[in-house]
Amino acid sequence: MLSLKIAARFLKSSPGQSALIIAGIAVGIATQIFVGSLITSLQADLVDSTVGSSPHITLLPPDGETTLQGSLADEAVTAEEALSGAAGTGITAAVPVRTLSAIYASGEDSVPLRITSADADGLDAIYKLSEKLVSGTYRLDEGEALVGVGFADEYDVSAGDDVTLLLPDGRVAELTVSGIFDLGQAAANTSFAFVDEASADDEYTAIQIQLADVFASSEIAPRLADELDVEAVDWQEENAELLSGLAAQSGSSIMIQVFVLVAVALGIASTLAISAVQKTRQIGILKAIGMGDGAAGRIFLWQAALLGAGGTLGGIALGYGLIWGFSFAPVPFSIRPEPTFIAISATIGIAVALLSSVIPARATSRLDPIEVIQNG
Amino acid sequence: MADLLVVDAIEKVYGEGEAATRALKGVSFTVAEGEFASIVGQSGSGKSTLLNLIGLLDTPTSGRVTLTGEDTTALGRKGRARLRNETLGFVFQFHYLLPEFSVWENLTMPAQIAGRSVSEAERERALETLALLGLEGLERKNANQLSGGQKQRVAIGRALMNRPRLILADEPTGNLDTTNTEAVYELFRRINAELGTTFLIVTHDRAVAQQTDRILEVRDGELVQDVRNDYVG
Repeated sequence: MLSLKIAARFLKSSPGQSALIIAGIAVGIATQIFVGSLITSLQADLVDSTVGSSPHITLLPPDGETTLQGSLADEAVTAEEALSGAAGTGITAAVPVRTLSAIYASGEDSVPLRITSADADGLDAIYKLSEKLVSGTYRLDEGEALVGVGFADEYDVSAGDDVTLLLPDGRVAELTVSGIFDLGQAAANTSFAFVDEASADDEYTAIQIQLADVFASSEIAPRLADELDVEAVDWQEENAELLSGLAAQSGSSIMIQVFVLVAVALGIASTLAISAVQKTRQIGILKAIGMGDGAAGRIFLWQAALLGAGGTLGGIALGYGLIWGFSFAPVPFSIRPEPTFIAISATIGIAVALLSSVIPARATSRLDPIEVIQNG
Repeated sequence: MADLLVVDAIEKVYGEGEAATRALKGVSFTVAEGEFASIVGQSGSGKSTLLNLIGLLDTPTSGRVTLTGEDTTALGRKGRARLRNETLGFVFQFHYLLPEFSVWENLTMPAQIAGRSVSEAERERALETLALLGLEGLERKNANQLSGGQKQRVAIGRALMNRPRLILADEPTGNLDTTNTEAVYELFRRINAELGTTFLIVTHDRAVAQQTDRILEVRDGELVQDVRNDYVG
């Protein structure tokens, strides 16, 4: 512990130098936390607005068939639990739905609507409709429908109004609008409508599935397709461009973070190298009076550890400050600090500091006291 | 009295081939426990090289240095560091105090390096040493706040703290005025008499050497004279 005591005293003896390098590390770590959290939150926001309120996997009937049994929804959950070996982690909701196309006619205009019917709770689990309502109430009794805000604006429809739809089999359905939703996507807002289960039979056109981890869909979808002998459509296949954009963004974010860390490492290494030169005389005399090479080298490891810990703590505080400051910026999303990411940044910060001390620590452990004594 | 130090035919060569310089050319002598001796010589005679070899700060090209019965040529860096800490005390021309530490911390540094917490006995000894050096009341002061003479006395105190059997002093008063120089040699004498500590003092100043019991003279890397001094007052 003598090495630690001497390290602390060396740092204290040059308060300006120590404060500057701690500030340097803090700015580096804060940048890393801020940029990392910004990109993660931005991507999470993008992914959420893309698939947060739509199915992550859609199971469709195999070739040659047109319907699926509703019981397949429960089978999918059981199968996934058995296949992944973990209960309750993969699929968060599996809902049998019927989709059909209908035509809404208003005066001379007519517009196709994609009608999804399912159990009201099931629809809410997939589309978060109760959270996305902009007017009316989330209710799907018989003869009621939920329509999108784009459709409602275009055709001047309000909650409580009646709409008449022409169904594919030629029937005319008269429905009352119980609520208007905003799913955050123009296409969905103008062409989606939801109704309650209209039929009591067990024939469905699809099973819509939500996952705890949206990116697990690429693994889970083929598993389910194999196991249940159905067609499984993964959201990632349908959003390949978005995903390659996200990957490019992650890559550039990692590059920024790596360069920041390299700058931090160079800063610490150069400060410690200067400190090692400044303290050569002290190290020499400590060795002359019996300090071992290892203990002398550890002085600089401890200096690096103290600088790294101080800088990292300061960086975390500064990073949180920046994230808090960002909450006042006029942007449509907020940054959520991720404790795991921050813990990783802190660990990397301290590890980089320790790594930067290797050269001065080795030089110090090799220093011969005679060099100092002879050179006065 | 038993030999504390045996220097046996040590040579020190710097450089190689034609550029090689023989700083010491087969020097041999012994020092008994409790002696108060000096090594004199002109600048560049090899006397400091000799002291560095005895102090285990450097290794001889050939020959051996035996300290407290232990052949030091067989020791590695770690072993030499341990023996320095346990057996030797150094006083240099420059005090080499640690400016980041207080007088007390500088004094107890050898004990801390040895991995001992400062025990009650050690505290007593440090206080005694401070009294012996006339530094009472200065223990909390930073080493940088002392005068030149005080700093050198703290350095002597540090050399004494582990109760070393041999104190090696290299021009210990080279930076001090006459009053402080006399005070330091009086102190060395007292420590030698009271604690039985052996002293080997390197100096170029014959007047200083005259105050020791034995004078070893080094010239051009050779021991040319080894006399008992009759003029000590």
